[in-house]
Amino acid sequence: MSGGFPGKQFMIQAEGLTKSYGPIRAVDRVSFKIPPGQVFGLLGPNGAGKTTTIKMLTTLSIPNSGRCSISGFDVVKNPLAIKMRIGVVPQENNLDRELTAYENLLIYAWLHRVEDSKKKIEAMLHAVDLWERKDSVVANFSGGMQRRLLLARALLPRPLVLFLDEPSIGLDPQIRRQMGNMIRKTKIEGRTIILTTHYIEEAEALCDRVGILSRGRLISLDSPQNLKALVGEYIVEFITPEGKLIQQICKNAEEAHGLAKQRENGVTIRRTNLEDVFIKLTGERIE
Amino acid sequence: MTAEWMPIFLREMLLFRRRLLRLGYLFSAMVVPIIYLIAFGWGLGNRIQIGGLDYLSYLLPGLVAMSSMTNSYTWVASNINLNRVYFKTFQVLVQAPIHSSSIMVGEVLAAMAKGLFASALIIVVGLLTSAHFSLTSFLAVTLLLNCFLFACLGVITGMRAKSHEDTATYSNFFIMPMGFFSGTFFPVDRLPVIIKEIIYLLPLTHANISIRKEVLDLEGFISLLILVGYSAAFFLYGSALIKKYNE
Repeated sequence: MSGGFPGKQFMIQAEGLTKSYGPIRAVDRVSFKIPPGQVFGLLGPNGAGKTTTIKMLTTLSIPNSGRCSISGFDVVKNPLAIKMRIGVVPQENNLDRELTAYENLLIYAWLHRVEDSKKKIEAMLHAVDLWERKDSVVANFSGGMQRRLLLARALLPRPLVLFLDEPSIGLDPQIRRQMGNMIRKTKIEGRTIILTTHYIEEAEALCDRVGILSRGRLISLDSPQNLKALVGEYIVEFITPEGKLIQQICKNAEEAHGLAKQRENGVTIRRTNLEDVFIKLTGERIE
Repeated sequence: MTAEWMPIFLREMLLFRRRLLRLGYLFSAMVVPIIYLIAFGWGLGNRIQIGGLDYLSYLLPGLVAMSSMTNSYTWVASNINLNRVYFKTFQVLVQAPIHSSSIMVGEVLAAMAKGLFASALIIVVGLLTSAHFSLTSFLAVTLLLNCFLFACLGVITGMRAKSHEDTATYSNFFIMPMGFFSGTFFPVDRLPVIIKEIIYLLPLTHANISIRKEVLDLEGFISLLILVGYSAAFFLYGSALIKKYNE
C-alpha cells in the first residue's frame, strides 16, 4: 500500500503542524519525517503537545495549519485512506466495557473489514495472553489486561502504522516490560510505530529516533544515543554543604572521574539519559 | 461484505441486549407511559370523551408517539454524548475506515430499534385494554418516521452537547414539554392561537396528527410530509456533525 504523492519514501511526514485551542497553541509548527519500519518516540512532559500531535496524525483533530501525510496520503484530504492504514492505542482506555474481549475485537474487525476475522481474533488474543478470558466482560479486566487488549485491537487489521499514546501509563514494571516486548515484536514485523511517552527508559529502550516536545514545539530530534552525546555522556552528581543537589554534565568518563576526584565523598557518576537532555534543552523536568 | 453501518448497529444491539437483562433498563423505558396510562387513561380519563371516543382510545396512540420519541431520542443522545466525552468509544467509530453517513445510519437504526421496542410494549398494552385501539398502517408509518426523526435528533444532541448534564437540559427544555403540548394528552385545537402556531412547528404534533388518522386526508398527508422533511434535515445535519468531528 502506498500513496501517490512526492516523498513516499517516508511513511509519515509532518510539516509545520499547528493546533491551537483558543489562545493556547498546543502544537506549534511541528515538522518531522519518519521512514518505514522505524519506531519514533515523542517525548515530553504532560501538556507538551504529544497527544494533540497524535490526534492530528490519526484524523481525530484537524490542524489549524501545516500538513501531514501517511504513506503519501494527506491526513485532512484523504482521511479514509489514512484510517485504512493505521492502528491506534489511545492514552485512555476506549474499549467497550460492557462487552467481552472477543466482542470488542469482533466489532473492531467488522468496522475495519478484517478478512478471516475469527482466526485473526483468536491468534491476536493468544498473542496477548487473553484467550482464556475472551468471554469475560472488559469492565472486569485489570489495567494491564485492558492495555494488552487495546494493543491487540489496534493490530488486528495489520496496520502499516501503529500509534501508541502513552502505552504503558499506569502499568506496573512487569506489565510495562511485556508491553515493550510486544512493541518490539510489532517493529520486527516491519510496522512503523509512533509512540508518545514520558517514561525515559521506555523511549531509550524502544525508539530508533526521539523527538523532544516542549510547550508544543519540537525542540530536538535524533536517535537517543546522538541526543545524549549532544549534552555529554556522563553526569556527576553531588550535594553541596548547603544541601543543594548539583548535576554536572561531562563529555566523557575521564572528565567525569576527574571532577569526582575533586570532591571528597558523596559523589555519584552515572550515564546521561534523555531526561538530562530534556533538562539541558528546556530547563524543565519531565513529569 | 456487510454494509458499513452494520457493525455499529450490531454493537449497539449487543449492548442493548446486555442492558435489557437488567430490570431497571426495561422499567425506565416503560415507566413514564405506563404512569400516564394509569393516571390519565384509567384514572382521570374515565370521565372524559374526545371526538366521541373514550379518553383512553384518544390517549393510546399519543402515548405510542411519545414513547417512540423519548426512547429513540434519549438513549442515542445519552450514549453518543457519554461515548464521545467520557468513554471515548465514539472515537473508535470516527477512526474506522467508514463514511460518516454510515455511522449515522448505524446509530439511528439502533436508536429506532430501541424506540420501536418500547413502543411495542405500549401497543400491546393498548390492544389488551382498549376496544378502539388498533394497529393501522398510519400508526405503523408514523411510528417508523417518528423513531427515525427523533433518533436523528438524538444524534445531533449527543454530538453537540458539551456534557452529559447538557443532554438532560435539552430533554427538560425541549423533549418533555413537546410530550405534553403536542397533542399527546389533548387536541392542540384547544390551545390559544399563538401557542397553537408554535406547537404546529413541533414534529411530535404532526406525529400525533398522522398516528390517529384512519384514512389519508390532506391534514394527515401534510403532517407526514413535515415529518419526512424534519427527518431529512436532521439526518443530513447529524451526518455533517459526525463528518466534521474535530477534537
